[in-house]
Amino acid sequence: MINHISDLYGRQISSAELPAAILELPEVKRRPAIQLKPSLMCSRCGSRLKRSQANLPNGQYYCYVCIQMKRMDTLHDLAFIDEPNQFNKVSNALSWEGQLTPLQAECAEQVVRIFKKRQHHLLWAVTGAGKTEMLFKGIEWAVRYGKRICIASPRVDVCIELFPRIQAAFAKTSIVLLHGKSDQPYKYSQITICTTHQLLRFYHAFDVLIIDEVDVFPFSGNPMLHFGVNNAIKTAGAMLYLTATPDKHLLTQVRKGHLSISYLPIRYHGHLLPEPTVIKIKGLSQGIDNNRLDKRILKMIRQLMSQQQRFLLFVPHIKDLATVATAIKDAGIIAKYDTVFAADPERLEKVGAMRHHELDFIITTTILERGVTFPGIDVLVLKADDDIFSAAALIQIAGRVGRSSDRPTGRVLFYAETRAANIRSCQRQIRKMNRKAAEI
Amino acid sequence: MTNCLLCQSSLRNTTSFDEIMSLAPTQARQLCEECAAKFFRLDSVATCDQCGRRLKAEMSNPCYDCERWQQQISFDFQNRALYEYNSAMKDYMKRYKFLGDYQLRFIFAKEVKKAVTRQKRLLVPIPVNAGTMATRGFNQVTGLLKGCSLVEALKTSQTVKDKRQSEKDRADRLRLIQPFELVEPQIERISGKNVTIIDDVYTTGTTIRHAASLLYQAGAASVIGITLAR
Ligand SMILES: [Zn+2]
Ligand SMILES: [Zn+2]
Ligand SMILES: [Zn+2]
Repeated sequence: MINHISDLYGRQISSAELPAAILELPEVKRRPAIQLKPSLMCSRCGSRLKRSQANLPNGQYYCYVCIQMKRMDTLHDLAFIDEPNQFNKVSNALSWEGQLTPLQAECAEQVVRIFKKRQHHLLWAVTGAGKTEMLFKGIEWAVRYGKRICIASPRVDVCIELFPRIQAAFAKTSIVLLHGKSDQPYKYSQITICTTHQLLRFYHAFDVLIIDEVDVFPFSGNPMLHFGVNNAIKTAGAMLYLTATPDKHLLTQVRKGHLSISYLPIRYHGHLLPEPTVIKIKGLSQGIDNNRLDKRILKMIRQLMSQQQRFLLFVPHIKDLATVATAIKDAGIIAKYDTVFAADPERLEKVGAMRHHELDFIITTTILERGVTFPGIDVLVLKADDDIFSAAALIQIAGRVGRSSDRPTGRVLFYAETRAANIRSCQRQIRKMNRKAAEI
Repeated sequence: MTNCLLCQSSLRNTTSFDEIMSLAPTQARQLCEECAAKFFRLDSVATCDQCGRRLKAEMSNPCYDCERWQQQISFDFQNRALYEYNSAMKDYMKRYKFLGDYQLRFIFAKEVKKAVTRQKRLLVPIPVNAGTMATRGFNQVTGLLKGCSLVEALKTSQTVKDKRQSEKDRADRLRLIQPFELVEPQIERISGKNVTIIDDVYTTGTTIRHAASLLYQAGAASVIGITLAR
């Protein structure tokens, strides 16, 4: 329930969620939640609706597409208040005292220019380039001029990891973290960190909108979330997309001139990306289905354990989690480990346990392929030739390794039956980036 | 191409040979196999004759709750439920009823229709109140009864709820806080008829017995209940 008028600044909320006292205020504007003409369309998510699916009794309609975010229907209006930018203009808001490398500093200046000129821009930076730190100067500029800022990502883990870092860097600025699993209540804040789904509840709010890991599910190829982005940003707002693996859609936007682009091919510590080693194993898939792991894999796990080397063990499917865990247990390997997948109810706790060194390793689906950083880890990918692992996913997985300057290298091991196209493409792209980095 | 109404996964690949050859439940066309498997049908297990709940090994028939009901009410009432109220059903109700995803009625509508029309009885749905109707825009019970001819003989009562429920015993409560009223012009259609009340979920059984007692008052010859879940 919305309780304070500021909860509506730059937002769009169904009148069903608003108490009468707020709805009656003169600042509150309304528009239909569902447009009937020219065709049935949801105002919040932009979905074209089928009448046979969207109909309610008595000639009413609702949107069945974005209903997870509370229902849009013809029984209620979408209420909003124009964004007033009620923020104190603070100079020197940045409390971060770290150092940028010369290349990062150059990128950071560019980000400031992009925000000032309200450009739409793609920053293509390799995994471990230090993207977040490169945003700080731009955010500081925006805070100084009382702008409203949002950093959104399709992945909730990315948001959760980002929040404390932004909070530490902008200690005096109001910041709110929003995602579906959060119990933190909404509060009008200068900086919003949220999942791309949450953007559906904003309307012409942000002067600066940054989208991290833009190429990933569920954002990539989801017209509803793209519509949400365009609604959430102010008409003349600045947009910055960040990724290490841009998809076709983004590159098309660049080619058409809708997006400017810049490239950062080197990691902040100056070391190259670790290249994956492919280990071919016959019958790998069948073995896993029968709770068995090849002895080379078990030997590697034992070796890692004896070296106290923590790692992530990637598998393509949820069903592989249990079989691989069983195989490790049956092999008599004694270790603290757990399994995790996207819809795992304990997902956040398990990732937290890994982060706090309470686990030696975690067996995971692609959900941990990006955004989360466990310093100094290695990665093993089982069935790397499975279709589930796109080349981009494999690049992101390899990008988990060697991120700290204490240990800028590490193992990236792909176990597969064949060197499939996705693996070859991943290897090609990593080598290409490393060549570019070497030229600098 | 259609998608599973609950998880959106494509149903194109899930129609196996077995499914075509077997008497697949009606919901198979609305749900993927994985989602469908999470619901538990009560038609092939032992259930309480009075409320329709699944009987565990140590439970008597009728169950303990129903024995207490028998002591407290003076009329005959039996309920049958199609599904167990497990976590999948709970989640379904959250989405169908509370989020208001009206299209989810299609998942169970055919089954409910089949169950309630098996015998020739008068079908009376449990009503929702005016406030719910204004925000939700539908009655979740009638939503499940597409294509059935209904007698909407009950409406929610305007009278204020009793404040001190806990101080009354169950029989008193049943009498005192009747949440329904009869709809005047429909009363005569009830008289002498065999009536089936339909509700979405049987929880304590209080609601549906309130409805049953009113229908007996209106002269029903017999009243039973059918609920989607118990
Ligand atoms: Zn919508
Ligand atoms: Zn499904
Ligand atoms: Zn019973």
